[in-house]
Amino acid sequence: MTLLQVDNLGRRYGGLHALQGVTLAVPVGARHGIIGPNGAGKSTLLNLIAGTVRPSTGTIVFDGKDLARLGPAARARRGIGRTWQHPAVFRRLTVTANVTLAVTRHALRAPARRPAVAARVQEVLERTGLTEHAAVPAGQLPYGLQRLLEFAVMLAAGPRLLLLDEPSAGLDPEETARLRAAVGALPEDVTTLLIDHNLDLVWSVCDTVTVLAQGRHLITGAPDAVRADESVRAAYLNVPAVPSAAARPVRTGRPLLRVTGLRAGYHGADVLSELELEIAEGDLVAVLGRNGAGKTTLLNALTGLVPTKPPTRIELDGTVLPPGRPHRVARAGVAIVPQGRRLFALTVAEHLEIAEATARRGDVYWTRAKVLELLPALAGRLSHHATRLSGGEQQMLALARALLTNPRLLILDEPSEGLAPAVVAHLATTLGVIASSGVTVLMAEQNLDLALRVTDRVLVLAEGRIALRSPVASLDRDRLHELVGA
Amino acid sequence: MTTTLSRPGVLPAVPVRPLVFAGTVTVCVALPWIVGAYQISLAASALVLGTLAMSTQLLVGVTGLPAFGQAAYFGVGAYTAALLANAGVTAGPVHLVAAASTGAAAALATAPIVLRTRATTFMMVTFAVQSLTATLASKWKPVTNGDDGLHTPAVRPWPGGPALTVNGFTYLYVLAAVLLLGLLMAVLLRSRLGLVLRGNADHEQRMAALGHRVTGELTLGYVAAGAFAGAGGALLIAVNRYVSPADMGFEVAAVTLLAAAIGAGSMTGAVVGAALVVFARDYLGGSTEHGPAFLGILFLLVAYGRPLVKRLRS
Repeated sequence: MTLLQVDNLGRRYGGLHALQGVTLAVPVGARHGIIGPNGAGKSTLLNLIAGTVRPSTGTIVFDGKDLARLGPAARARRGIGRTWQHPAVFRRLTVTANVTLAVTRHALRAPARRPAVAARVQEVLERTGLTEHAAVPAGQLPYGLQRLLEFAVMLAAGPRLLLLDEPSAGLDPEETARLRAAVGALPEDVTTLLIDHNLDLVWSVCDTVTVLAQGRHLITGAPDAVRADESVRAAYLNVPAVPSAAARPVRTGRPLLRVTGLRAGYHGADVLSELELEIAEGDLVAVLGRNGAGKTTLLNALTGLVPTKPPTRIELDGTVLPPGRPHRVARAGVAIVPQGRRLFALTVAEHLEIAEATARRGDVYWTRAKVLELLPALAGRLSHHATRLSGGEQQMLALARALLTNPRLLILDEPSEGLAPAVVAHLATTLGVIASSGVTVLMAEQNLDLALRVTDRVLVLAEGRIALRSPVASLDRDRLHELVGA
Repeated sequence: MTTTLSRPGVLPAVPVRPLVFAGTVTVCVALPWIVGAYQISLAASALVLGTLAMSTQLLVGVTGLPAFGQAAYFGVGAYTAALLANAGVTAGPVHLVAAASTGAAAALATAPIVLRTRATTFMMVTFAVQSLTATLASKWKPVTNGDDGLHTPAVRPWPGGPALTVNGFTYLYVLAAVLLLGLLMAVLLRSRLGLVLRGNADHEQRMAALGHRVTGELTLGYVAAGAFAGAGGALLIAVNRYVSPADMGFEVAAVTLLAAAIGAGSMTGAVVGAALVVFARDYLGGSTEHGPAFLGILFLLVAYGRPLVKRLRS
């Protein structure tokens, strides 16, 4: 029996067809994956079904009812539940309160009386293993637990159709395995529509896969058939060869960044304690570790975005970087591509202009022309607003913005998050080119393949300390997998 | 009330808050025997403004809607009580119920316009509601007597009770009413509606995706806030025995928002904020004629002090 029928669905933004003529039939209990390059229209499709975006053409029928006139809340009451690319939880409310808000009378199919609600909340917390965090405000949970909470909140509303928008984004390997188990453990009559760039997850979880490319439907079929399809390979899976790090000349450069006694944290508790670190000029270094190990805190402490505590000392080429002064750190030559990109509400050209204005004085290597040559996708989009770019283009813009300041040290936080395989491959190439121009690169990454392919050295963080530091060439892979939970 | 309570491991084992609360209430009750008539009338004014600040805080601090216009519903309540008193109904509790009802009705009538917007636009629209209502009060002379305002006979604490003409008694009546309103507010904040309003403040889209009728829920919150503001208006009549368009004017709206801001999201904080505003503007200002300057300093202290308090807490 078909639960969701999508016919000739389309959505235009001005002259841009985000989605065009897509037809899909999803039967009850299906595990339906949707993959495709960045900008293929996957999130648009999901938002159209959830009702947060209105279609330009076509119809959506859910459980025999045309959804055209229903808003997001009415669709939710009919049994459509969803997650967002960035966990949508009530950050100031406790975990218990988060789940309580999901237990409405629609979810209970009975009046929402206190004892009944409390019992359901208790049950959900126990089933998801969140009981021990029940009194913690959601915003203070580590990222992985926020994802888990969002999943629990969605399930507590008792949906029949789940719309999952990149649920594995930002999860470490162990958390991804837990997500896979959670999706696998869903009741059989719950239907799932899953968007994700983690193809291993999609192949293992889904029974049907649809590929979108440039807003159009390419193919729908069983995972094996889709993997074997030539047009899919061409549009999406084909990963061009990437120059491996070993191809670059080995550097014996002097130390560029020297960190001693680094302590940083939030709300009194130290995330990083007495961390020592040295990075040589021209190195390409990966910071690995589980979520919550302190990777983002380390990167933000280096850029001055997170306050540090004594006896922290951060030196760039012998000059002490002032703690808690991000603009002075930036002027000294440290640029960051933050997690989630953090772009401005400006056009591409304006982003570039702002970055150029704060470029480090002295020899300017990365000019606008050079950057656009390196990231050609941006050249045709100079007048576009950053919000209208695809995920891949946004990441390129964040990179361009950092590069135009002509940094000596380029820091990237989870650059591959939310990127399609082909874009990740392009990113790898790009980082190689940047490093060979003499810029030192430090990146935190969950994508081990990318990290090990691109970098020369890895640092593995565990519980706020560096548990392993090693050149990639002589890396103890078993120890690494043990530390990151792969 | 919420932010400070939810920090585990910070509170000592002794129940400090109930003790402080009980102590404060005791001092408030004993106040007429401690200070003079002028100070008592100021304290009564502070309580009235405190009620209005609670109403504002329900929207600003709890629901995340920057409401500037609660003075409008306050005015509706005040005129309701004044008209009743002039028609011979002088029982305070009747005033409270009637004013809360008209305040709520006015909020319900304006909610569809106001709740179309959020953030700065919301603030502008509520500002428009406030100034239009104040203008209406000034122009609708047959009912409101225009800018001259309405004088009323003294309010009685219960039907047939003594007229509240002595400052001390008026103050005690207002204090009792405000404690009752505070209790109602505490119940509301702990109710399902309270949780739902907080949820909407945090992530409205998520609420909709869980099937919540967001606009309906926000309307309920807005109407409840209107009822509290209206009740505050009834208390204004008990204290001043007079109402004019100035009582729902721009300045009242601004200092109410200031009181809520001083409260930093907490309901008791909003009442304390209202007391601080009256203290700075009328008590300090009354003896030195520099009231506006003290109020300005208070504004600046809030603007610069709140980030400081946040940093100290973390």
